[in-house]
Amino acid sequence: MSLRKRLIFSMLTILALLSINVGTHFWGSLARNESMIAYRDSVSAGQLSDEIGRMLENQRQQVLVLATLKETTGDQLGGAEQQSALSNIDDISRKILSLGSLSWEDTEPLYKPLKKSSDELLAGWRSFYEAYNDTSTISDIEDPLPYLETNQLLDALKQQQSALAVDRASIIDRTIALTDRITIFAFLATLLLTFLLGLILVRYTSRSLKQLQRGTEQIGAGDLSYRISTMNESGELAELAHAFNTMSEKLSSAIDEVQAAKEQADQANAAKSTFLANVSHELRTPLNAIIGYSEMMQEEVAEGDEIDRNQLQSDLTTVVFSGRQLLTLINDVLDLSKIETGKMTVVCDWFNPLMSLESVANSMAPLLQAQNNRLSTDYSEQFPTMYSDITKFRQIITNLLSNANKFTENGVITLAGHYDDKDQIVTITVSDTGIGMTDEQIKRIFEAFEQAETSTSIKYGGTGLGLSLCREFAEMLGGSITASSKPGRGSTFTVRLPANRESNPVNA
Amino acid sequence: MTTLLIVEDNELNRDMLTRRLERKNYTILTAGDGQEALEVMRQSQPDLVLMDMNLPVLDGWEACRIAKQDPQLQHIPLLALTAHALDQELARALDAGCSDFATKPIDFPLLIQKIEGLTQS
Repeated sequence: MSLRKRLIFSMLTILALLSINVGTHFWGSLARNESMIAYRDSVSAGQLSDEIGRMLENQRQQVLVLATLKETTGDQLGGAEQQSALSNIDDISRKILSLGSLSWEDTEPLYKPLKKSSDELLAGWRSFYEAYNDTSTISDIEDPLPYLETNQLLDALKQQQSALAVDRASIIDRTIALTDRITIFAFLATLLLTFLLGLILVRYTSRSLKQLQRGTEQIGAGDLSYRISTMNESGELAELAHAFNTMSEKLSSAIDEVQAAKEQADQANAAKSTFLANVSHELRTPLNAIIGYSEMMQEEVAEGDEIDRNQLQSDLTTVVFSGRQLLTLINDVLDLSKIETGKMTVVCDWFNPLMSLESVANSMAPLLQAQNNRLSTDYSEQFPTMYSDITKFRQIITNLLSNANKFTENGVITLAGHYDDKDQIVTITVSDTGIGMTDEQIKRIFEAFEQAETSTSIKYGGTGLGLSLCREFAEMLGGSITASSKPGRGSTFTVRLPANRESNPVNA
Repeated sequence: MTTLLIVEDNELNRDMLTRRLERKNYTILTAGDGQEALEVMRQSQPDLVLMDMNLPVLDGWEACRIAKQDPQLQHIPLLALTAHALDQELARALDAGCSDFATKPIDFPLLIQKIEGLTQS
């Protein structure tokens, strides 16, 4: 249950209990009030009965005295006295009526006969007074029975009323006691429930908060795998826990990513360091020859030795060759740097690929001779002019030929060029009879700074840049380069380039 | 006459070094890889070996280690020649048993000094 629902539920429960309390209080007051009124009625009825009893008795005495006087003296009754007596009787009659209205429900069976009897008695008295001065009438007013009957009934009524008053007083007491009990019980229940609900809320909330706190501490201490386990709960705190777990996961994966990125950067850094070391090594090797040969010739000239012209020529060729090797290396490094920074541009024009191939092949002659390799060529008869970047085209072929030569001794290097009229694709193949490569090695050779083996760079030199440049260039020209090889059987590199303007992506 | 063995796989550098040292009146023997170097050492007992470390067949470090463990060869001083200029490469050469090293491109007068130092002692 959510925290909000819990709070609302608790408030409603407490409110209901309070309402019961207040309701009980009002009901008690009302019941007490009604009982009080009934009690007062009973008490008033008692008093009224007493008064009526006295008035009846007085009136009877007066009637008896007047009747005796009439018989003995025959005196007339004055108008004023007659009026006064009649109004006294009316008064009694009214009081009896008002007695009837008090606690009517309980006293009806007793009151009805009283009313009848008293009406008769009062009617008798009334006619006594009205006919008093008429001497012809003889009154039987001295008959005590109607009076006694009325008086008896009045007494009975009075007793019932006082019994009622006692009953009602005890009802009041009971009502008060009951409402007190209910009020106290409801009050205590409210207190207890409020306390219990508060306790549950605090426990639930603090348990969840503690879990959150522990989680935060764990994460803060670097344990990113920590997760809060409150998934059996629902509501805001569970959502908070869930959000916390999601945050932990994101944090964890973000850190993993950063770690992976760091490792990648470290690897790239290590690769660059190795590359720099290789570049340094490769720069020093031709420099060693250049400086060494130059110093040697300097010495020979300075010391006035007899100069062997052929030897001098050969030494100078060595210096020039080493210088060119150095230049190639520097250019490769610069090219790679240009590609990496996206500054390498492609400049396309129409040229004759056959002429390019032949010129590259010719320039390779000294290198081939050094390794005692033979170059065999195989060109298509129909070779169109192609629209591409001639510099990059030449560089690809030069790199492939110089690679083939580097890893082949006393072998044959084949340079083949073919044109596919249908696809308009120029395919150049360079194959050798050299040391070859395994499939694993082929997968890596096109990566920058990589060679088939780490020891390869030691044995054969090179910075691992040539083939990666070849691939970059071939892709820039809209083509591709692939390799196939068997260890000990030589390698074959195949370059496929689009031949015309339309199929060249640079101009598409 | 002091006899030096030059172990170097790069033909140009080997040729150049041979000629320059011959002009300084050293007797020069040559080898193109580590294996060949050990054979020549056993055969001719040179006074000093100038050893390139990046060699085919058997590399310079391994060749130096074998020479230093061989009772017949361990007295011959070894001087490493390397195009690696990093400190750890030089330390590696000394670890393999070389007495000293020279970095390519070679500072010739300094090399002569080192050769003299190692052959006279």
